[in-house]
Amino acid sequence: MKTFVTLLATLAISNSVNAADIKLQNPPINEEAPNFIAVNSYGKTIQLSDLKGSPVILEWTNHECPYVARHYNENNMQSIQKMANDAGIIWLSVISSTPGDQGHVSPEKANALTDSRGASPTHVLLDELGEMGMLYGAKTTPHMYMIDANGILRYKGAIDDIGRGMQFFNASFNKAINYVSSQMDQLIANESLNINSTTAYGCSVKYNYD
Amino acid sequence: MKHIFLAFSLFLSTLAVSNPVETGHARASLITNLQNSQQESFYVGVRLEMQEGWHTYWENPGDSGSPFEAKWNVDEGVIVENVEWPTPITIPYPPLMTFGYEGDVVFPFKVFRSLDLELSSISVDFDFLICADICIPEKASLTLDLSSATPNVLVDEAIQKLPLKIIQTESAVKGDGLKTKFKFSQPIQDAYLFPRQDNLFAYTPTQQLVSLGDDLYEITVPVLNDEVASFSGILSIDGEGFQIEEELESSSSMSLWQAILFALIGGLILNLMPCVFPVISLKVLSFVSMGGDDNSKIRNHALSFVGGVMSTFLSIATALIIIRSTGSMIGWGYQLQSPAVVGILTLIMLGIGLILLTNINFASGLTTLGSSVQSRNDYSGSFFTGVLAVVVASPCTAPFMGAAIGYALLQPSFATLPIFLALGLGFAGPYLLLALKPQWISALPQPGAWMETLKQFFAFPMIATALWLMWVFMVQTSGDALILLLLLGLILGIAIWMIATFKGRWKWIGMLATFLAAMQVFNNLPENTGGMVADSSAEEWSLDIESDLQAQDQAYLINFTAAWCITCQTNEKTAFARDKVKEYLTDQNITYIKADWTNRNEEIAVGLAKYERTGIPLYIFWKPGMPGSKILPAVLTEDILIKAMQ
Repeated sequence: MKTFVTLLATLAISNSVNAADIKLQNPPINEEAPNFIAVNSYGKTIQLSDLKGSPVILEWTNHECPYVARHYNENNMQSIQKMANDAGIIWLSVISSTPGDQGHVSPEKANALTDSRGASPTHVLLDELGEMGMLYGAKTTPHMYMIDANGILRYKGAIDDIGRGMQFFNASFNKAINYVSSQMDQLIANESLNINSTTAYGCSVKYNYD
Repeated sequence: MKHIFLAFSLFLSTLAVSNPVETGHARASLITNLQNSQQESFYVGVRLEMQEGWHTYWENPGDSGSPFEAKWNVDEGVIVENVEWPTPITIPYPPLMTFGYEGDVVFPFKVFRSLDLELSSISVDFDFLICADICIPEKASLTLDLSSATPNVLVDEAIQKLPLKIIQTESAVKGDGLKTKFKFSQPIQDAYLFPRQDNLFAYTPTQQLVSLGDDLYEITVPVLNDEVASFSGILSIDGEGFQIEEELESSSSMSLWQAILFALIGGLILNLMPCVFPVISLKVLSFVSMGGDDNSKIRNHALSFVGGVMSTFLSIATALIIIRSTGSMIGWGYQLQSPAVVGILTLIMLGIGLILLTNINFASGLTTLGSSVQSRNDYSGSFFTGVLAVVVASPCTAPFMGAAIGYALLQPSFATLPIFLALGLGFAGPYLLLALKPQWISALPQPGAWMETLKQFFAFPMIATALWLMWVFMVQTSGDALILLLLLGLILGIAIWMIATFKGRWKWIGMLATFLAAMQVFNNLPENTGGMVADSSAEEWSLDIESDLQAQDQAYLINFTAAWCITCQTNEKTAFARDKVKEYLTDQNITYIKADWTNRNEEIAVGLAKYERTGIPLYIFWKPGMPGSKILPAVLTEDILIKAMQ
């Protein structure tokens, strides 16, 4: 592990010029969401433009990240997914971890995780190269995006109002305001949301930074 | 199972009270600089020795991560206070950026205690997120027995290194970057601005540092939105941290309602400004002559005047908004930047002066400018006076008006038309009141022969205004051009005389001849080339002069002026040119700067926009110790000016 980190650090220094070229986008709210193309855990290509007509929720995830782990261990994420399923919202869990890094999984492992955790995403997207993550400016796991049925980006940011800080690990999910579940009705109505942009908190997305 | 759990928690609790604690990827310990039991205040520090490659976070962790949380458990009579966070470093994970600490770090906290109480132990639950390429929340419950603790020099070292010094900066958002200027007397290898707020700035792409020479540096930080009003943070210069507290000139410091109110007051005050006074006084005179007249006639005249004022304001506003929306940086009074407009206004003033002085009557609306009782049914005269009043008022910026018009023009949109309407309403306010209550006119002196004398006398303010406009014209062009303008004045005089003297066909032939002569002269008028004569006591203005002088800790006074701005010229005489003011500026070592806007100048327009202004006068003052420069009153006397600088 340690040698691996050192190796990464060395690569990071030697390739620092390349690293600077990588640009994280910042898609604007209430405008058309960037059209992504990604492969799901069954090898099928999923494209945002094909999903028009249904609202879409994007969840950046990394099952080994302690923040994500707590959301799943306490059945918080699953219950929001269930709400979305019932409301006819497409839920996409996106894994942008690079191969060899934390949270990177094989398609089989991705499906096994969905089963074992009782999760119900419509698709799990494997974004090994981080292209979709960069396109949306995903910084943390979890990092949430809400897109309405017309393909308009309505929300980007944190999953709830607990926010960054160690209080997360003691805070109650029930007492928190969940920005995703509490705004699903407005999303379905294709309306602009009351809260449409917040600072996401959690682990960093494990992009290929070397 | 239960026994194992019990044993495990017992093990945990023994772990908890020990000091130091191995948390997994760090060793945490509680240390102090307490020297003796008589100290009322001292420091404790949470020391975190992280394994190589692992880091924890600053209060704003950057794109991801979390700052630590410390929960203190102390006896009554003891208070633990957060101090400052140590200067963080950047921990890049491209394309993400995080801020925090690596290796061995001490987080100091200040302790106050009552000396009546025995020294006891102090405990903390320290929760922190520690990350390499993965993140793990770890915690340490640390206890330190203060009665037996030995002072640790690491606490003092940590306190010494805390970023407590404040560095003076000047920031502005330009494009998608925040540009922060600061002064540093040594060469800088590397600098980074760590913002405390987590939603204002983008952490990638990287910040750029440039040296502007003379120990002045500028760091550019990408912004997430350009509505940054204030921020705070730490500027790390080669690892040494400084506090930054910055209030930016807000782009929306005024609400629409406030702007409308200011416009209303400003319009009212505009009546008293020197450039409007001659025209207004004539109007007042004409109302005086109506004393004892039919109320409805007074009302109609007043309303015609108001109509003239309002429609002119509306036209000017529409023109301004349309031109501004094309991106041209023009402002209030901009029309006087054209010598042609100045020339025409000169002739109008001169013409009115001649008519008043000679008491020529001719059946044009012009005569109702005076007190012509004969044509009292001619409301177009009142309307035209309204138009004229606004036209001559345009180079004046009354107090309050500058801010309101600046607000309206910096966001060119027809939604800001109400501001101009309010300005017109304020300006026409007294006459509107007269229209509503015509009987109030009886409060004015009775009309009589004195009015004829006064009317003739008012020719002189008009001619004086014409003289002033001639000077503006000369400054904008040249002495030769002025002679041409005077020639036009002569032709105008002849024309007025012919209209009054001749009848029938001859009158029109004479008019045509003078018109042709006027055209001939007019076509030869040159473009504006001149500018005000340089003031030797003033430095020339440039867009960067303020930041440059602030960086040098040099106090300054900026005078945005123009030959055509008569308020500016009045202030020039009543304040800036006075010896007392000059002496004060020299004694206090205040750099005096003049920005001459007589001719069109985009750079000055941009400079005015920084203060949300589009018109002049505008006076700016700053001296060391002031957080930002301030705007001085628009109407100055030497006392007001000196007091404002104290």
